[in-house]
Amino acid sequence: MQLRINQTTYEVDADADTPLLWVIRDDLGLTGTKYGCGLAQCGACSVLVDGAVVRACVTPVAGVVGREITTIEAVEADAVGKRVVSAWVKHQVAQCGYCQSGQVMAATALLKHTPHPSDAQIAAAMVNLCRCGTYNAIHAAVHDVAAAQENA
Amino acid sequence: MNDSLRVTGVAQPFPVGEPVNISRRSFLLASAGTAVGALVLGFGLPLGLSRVQAATGNAAAPGTQVPAFLEIRPDGRIRLLSPFMEGGQGIFTAMAQIVGEELDADPATFLIDSAPPGEQYVVMDNGMRITGGSMSVRTSYPTMRRLGALARAMLLQAAAERLGVPVGDLSTEPGRVIHAASGRTLGYGELAAQAMDLPVPDPASVTLRDPSQFRWIGKPVQRVDAYDKSTGKAVYSIDVKVDGMLHAAVQHAPRLGMRVGELRNEAQVKAMKGVHSVHRLPGAVAVVAERWWHAKRAVEAVQVQWLEASADAKVRQMPADFSSDAFRDQLAAATGPARDEENEGDFGKAFADAATQVEATYHNQFLNHAQLEPPSALARFNPDGTLEVWLPNQAPDMFRADMAKRTGLDPSQITLHSPLLGGFFGRHFLYDSANPYPQAILLAKAVGRPVKLIWSREEEFLRDALRPMAVVKFRAALDAQGLPVAIEAVSATEGPTEAIAGKQGEKIDPTALEGLSGKAYAIPSKRIAQVYVKGPAMLGYWRSVGNSLNDFFYEAFLDELADKGKQDPFELRLHLLRDNQRLTNLLQAVGDLSGGWKRGPFTAEDGSRRARGVAMASPFGSEAAVIAEVSIEQGQVKVHDIWEAIDPGSIVNPAIIEAQVNGAVSLGLSQALVEEAVYVNGQPRARNYDLYPILSAQRMARVHVRIVESGAKMGGIGEPPLPAVAPAVANAVAHLTGQRIRSMPLSRYTFS
Amino acid sequence: MTKSRLATTLGCFALLCLVIAAVLAWYVTRTPASPFAAQASAAPPDPALVQRGEYVARLGDCVACHSLPEAAPFTGGLKMATPLGAIYATNITADRATGIGAYSLADFDRAVRHGVTPDGRRLYPAMPYPSYAKLSDDDIRALYAFFMHGVSPAAQANKPSEIPWPLNLRWPIALWNGLFTDPAPYPAKPDQDAQWNRGAYIVQGPGHCGSCHTPRGLAFNEKGLSEASKTYLAGGLLDGWYAPSLRNDPNTGLGRWNEADIVSFLKHGRNRHAVVYGSMTEAFNNSTQFMSDEDLGAIAHYLKSLPGDPSRDGPAWQYQASELSAASSAPGAHTYVSRCATCHGLDGRGQAEWMPPLAGATSALAREDASAINITLNGSQRIVAAGVPDAYRMPAFREQLSDREIAEVLSFVRSTWGNHGGAVEAKAVGKLREHTGPASSNPIILQMR
Repeated sequence: MQLRINQTTYEVDADADTPLLWVIRDDLGLTGTKYGCGLAQCGACSVLVDGAVVRACVTPVAGVVGREITTIEAVEADAVGKRVVSAWVKHQVAQCGYCQSGQVMAATALLKHTPHPSDAQIAAAMVNLCRCGTYNAIHAAVHDVAAAQENA
Repeated sequence: MNDSLRVTGVAQPFPVGEPVNISRRSFLLASAGTAVGALVLGFGLPLGLSRVQAATGNAAAPGTQVPAFLEIRPDGRIRLLSPFMEGGQGIFTAMAQIVGEELDADPATFLIDSAPPGEQYVVMDNGMRITGGSMSVRTSYPTMRRLGALARAMLLQAAAERLGVPVGDLSTEPGRVIHAASGRTLGYGELAAQAMDLPVPDPASVTLRDPSQFRWIGKPVQRVDAYDKSTGKAVYSIDVKVDGMLHAAVQHAPRLGMRVGELRNEAQVKAMKGVHSVHRLPGAVAVVAERWWHAKRAVEAVQVQWLEASADAKVRQMPADFSSDAFRDQLAAATGPARDEENEGDFGKAFADAATQVEATYHNQFLNHAQLEPPSALARFNPDGTLEVWLPNQAPDMFRADMAKRTGLDPSQITLHSPLLGGFFGRHFLYDSANPYPQAILLAKAVGRPVKLIWSREEEFLRDALRPMAVVKFRAALDAQGLPVAIEAVSATEGPTEAIAGKQGEKIDPTALEGLSGKAYAIPSKRIAQVYVKGPAMLGYWRSVGNSLNDFFYEAFLDELADKGKQDPFELRLHLLRDNQRLTNLLQAVGDLSGGWKRGPFTAEDGSRRARGVAMASPFGSEAAVIAEVSIEQGQVKVHDIWEAIDPGSIVNPAIIEAQVNGAVSLGLSQALVEEAVYVNGQPRARNYDLYPILSAQRMARVHVRIVESGAKMGGIGEPPLPAVAPAVANAVAHLTGQRIRSMPLSRYTFS
Repeated sequence: MTKSRLATTLGCFALLCLVIAAVLAWYVTRTPASPFAAQASAAPPDPALVQRGEYVARLGDCVACHSLPEAAPFTGGLKMATPLGAIYATNITADRATGIGAYSLADFDRAVRHGVTPDGRRLYPAMPYPSYAKLSDDDIRALYAFFMHGVSPAAQANKPSEIPWPLNLRWPIALWNGLFTDPAPYPAKPDQDAQWNRGAYIVQGPGHCGSCHTPRGLAFNEKGLSEASKTYLAGGLLDGWYAPSLRNDPNTGLGRWNEADIVSFLKHGRNRHAVVYGSMTEAFNNSTQFMSDEDLGAIAHYLKSLPGDPSRDGPAWQYQASELSAASSAPGAHTYVSRCATCHGLDGRGQAEWMPPLAGATSALAREDASAINITLNGSQRIVAAGVPDAYRMPAFREQLSDREIAEVLSFVRSTWGNHGGAVEAKAVGKLREHTGPASSNPIILQMR
């Protein structure tokens, strides 16, 4: 099957029910997307499919054929994604960093869809787990991007 | 000279006789192992070492073998091999600040990797090499500063030779040597090859920078890994890939100690798509496959007949009737004998004579580490019989020694790579039965190809080493004024160090009682004791270790004493610390930070009823004080704000400290509010985050931090902010609701 | 009334009572007839018969109750909670002392088809003998051959039931049997073709689908044992799960499924409409996936012949698009978006055939909300198809969401995308939370031999 990932078309030989996560990581070597739980609980594997955030560990690859997939490796090619990364660096969000690919993707999806999210909207969208406790920094970084977009 | 290289016991993948050529070396490193998306860096022993040893003799002072640590590239970027592992605590950045400060190089120009095993990387003042116990900066601070200063001296010397001027005429600015008289400058990158060939100067010959002149130490320097970790570029063990690698997944015995019996459908599993082979391992079955997903699905399909442990099994044996609730009852019923850790005054008499006696029993829960990166290990046997292993670890020399024992190889034949840790929390210590590398090594040996083993999240929850459980019986005496004059805490527990050793040591395991012992309060009579109760669960260190439970017990019970004696808990603490200026200041600092101590209950702007609680802790050489503000929402505790004042003596990076406090608060709230590893029928009930909730963003509190630099001996930062969080919350809840909860997590209760 | 007349009356009454008692005593302890009564126990049968018997055991899913994962096959021990107290499935291996090794074919027949042990004791109808009564003589003979010669005898003493006296007296069950069971084997319907009759036989007999899918009366009796009853397979509530209608009801039944959908569901555990969960996982893991394609086709054919009931089922579901995003403000919508949508989709359509759609799902259309609550609280058991555990499973949310949050998100699901199952009460969630536990993430594979 053919997959569109980060503006590139890949020919992939995988079973229809293989999670997108493992195709991305093992077949394509894009290891920025992380395996955390395999059960859609932690969000470390968040990627964008047609601009919406999905958890790649529970996304059978057959279902994303023909759709535009964006992984963390290409997040800065997106204008919003680039601002999100900048905010993440500015706010020094990452600690161990393992969940942050997913956090950045979740924030990018939120801010692309909702440039000026309310606190409730941020709370509803930013539900990925972080064991290092970077939640407040994440919140601040998302707010920062939202505010900057407002001024822009 | 070459021989001296070998006896150091460090693997040497590069031709030993080759001249030093740093840029060439970095080229070799980069090509040592490559993969799509993940660049595998191998470390060799920098060749300057032999000269260092020639210069200083065998007993080189710690952290003086400069070329072993530093590689300055032609473009001026500085690669530092850190003796400490980065797992989110910011140690790489701290190392860049500390070394950079004395080297005179901007921390932003540093590229940092974990150093391989080897005695030249033993830089801690206690002679250990371990990343843990919040020890890294505080035990290596002067040594790592000196390392930077030595390197700077070598660069200056090289420049002096190059420019033909006396060293004394030269100075540096970040990344450059300056000859002020002529205006000539040389970048460090231009000098490095020559400098690193020079003998390392006498450590006593360098003077360290006056702290008043610090540019980076003590400043909120940006983390060196912030960008990579925000863009998926950071490489963890689970991401490493080498040529010809196979993937493996395991199915562990449902209970620790059980043995593999018949595999009922081995032929069927072997025939599954992508499967390379099926393997029996001690206490586990493994499938090796071309892709991990295939390995994982196939190993789940293996129908294993699990046999009870043999009597002589080395690992702990988990019985089928074990449950965490029953174990708590067993601890509560344990009567002794007890060993005293502290015994001052005459507790028995003081208690008997007291105007008021108070007694209470507390307990805590088992916890998982639940770091986001599942365990993995990649093992490769090279054609020459040497072994390379990539795995997350916090003590490379100990791990390598264990690998040598297991394989029969000499440590010099084992190369250990220590990538970034996807979460720290004490998970990556040498826990027998809780590490994947012994399995990865066996599999790589068996299949004759490199094997990367990943434990699925479910397997991780099955084999993780647990934070210990304790039942603590308190007794205390109040005088006629309602002030505590005697306190006794007897903890029925097993410390993690005792669990790892499998037995009680000659001395009490300090990690069992810390947080009960070592309290600074002026209570004349006190007795802190342990009743050792060995359990079947494998135990481990969990961020802030014994303090994580014991400060909860002690500080909550102290509030009970305050209530019983009709004292305000904040004022009582001030009173008990009246002769301790440092802690008095700290407590007042957290009071100020919170806008002045107010216990409540009061009605907040949003109409909710709230109260505040206070608690303190003295872990890992630092001091912490916390105030928590809580309300009750739908019967559960909502923590709105945490104010924390922390005094580590002196600091390196306030921004990282603030991040560490946030992280510690998050874990402290998590254990106080939601977390619990429940065992039923000898098995963990939770095998993933669905049944093992960790603190979510929704339940995170606002965190306000005040760093107090008292100038006292430098303490730790990674763990100290944690222990006082849970008791501060419990104290606030008790005051707000009138319900004194003597256990964690609070989610076991419904409040009104 | 004179003394003598009184005495006579009393005497007659006593006599009458005695006679009734005697008849009753005979009735409740009598040995039912068996066509095999006159036959001596057969010599070791030919292997083909044993193999056929194994297949019948698969059809009947004997293993689901009579085996435990880590014990020898068919040695019993499964605890079954009843309102009166727990009972335990028995050892049905050929062990003479603790199992059924001493059973003659007729004894075996009486136990399986009539729920009566050789000593005249009545089995609890947890053993689905009201359905097994319809087994053919041939299948009974094959089944007997399998248990006597295909399953290794294993000594494992039976656990006594925990039902207290006098509730543990068994004789009233005989009266219950008289009222609610039909002892005759399945009678083929001459007006239906062979495929239909085969399907009806499996569904009503060995498959005992009605045990879960037929609503039960006050005496815990199935309200119908064949298509003769309009409520047969019309959906039932059992053990915290709502087993949906298997009739042609478009909302709560199979009205929108074609025969191929049914076959796929029973063979692979999934189709474009649904994935097996709850109690059906056990039936799938141990029974339906092992049925032959012909038999699955027959089952589908038969089920599709059962008419729906619009008065019970209501207007047929139609998909209605709904704009959903993180910005949605309905009480359960936030939870849905953050917890559910990644698998089940913002559009509720799932990712067929791996994650089932919630739009149009029976659990979102049935008034009974037990299944929706239960799966949300406890997650799914592993589906093991063709020996391989599922790639995806439903997590348990009992530790993450409060009763109110679960009620809100389910109310949202049950009122969006055209779903009309209705609101869920937090109290109902709390009740099920107390009485259920999380599903194991370990695949549970029961051995037949």
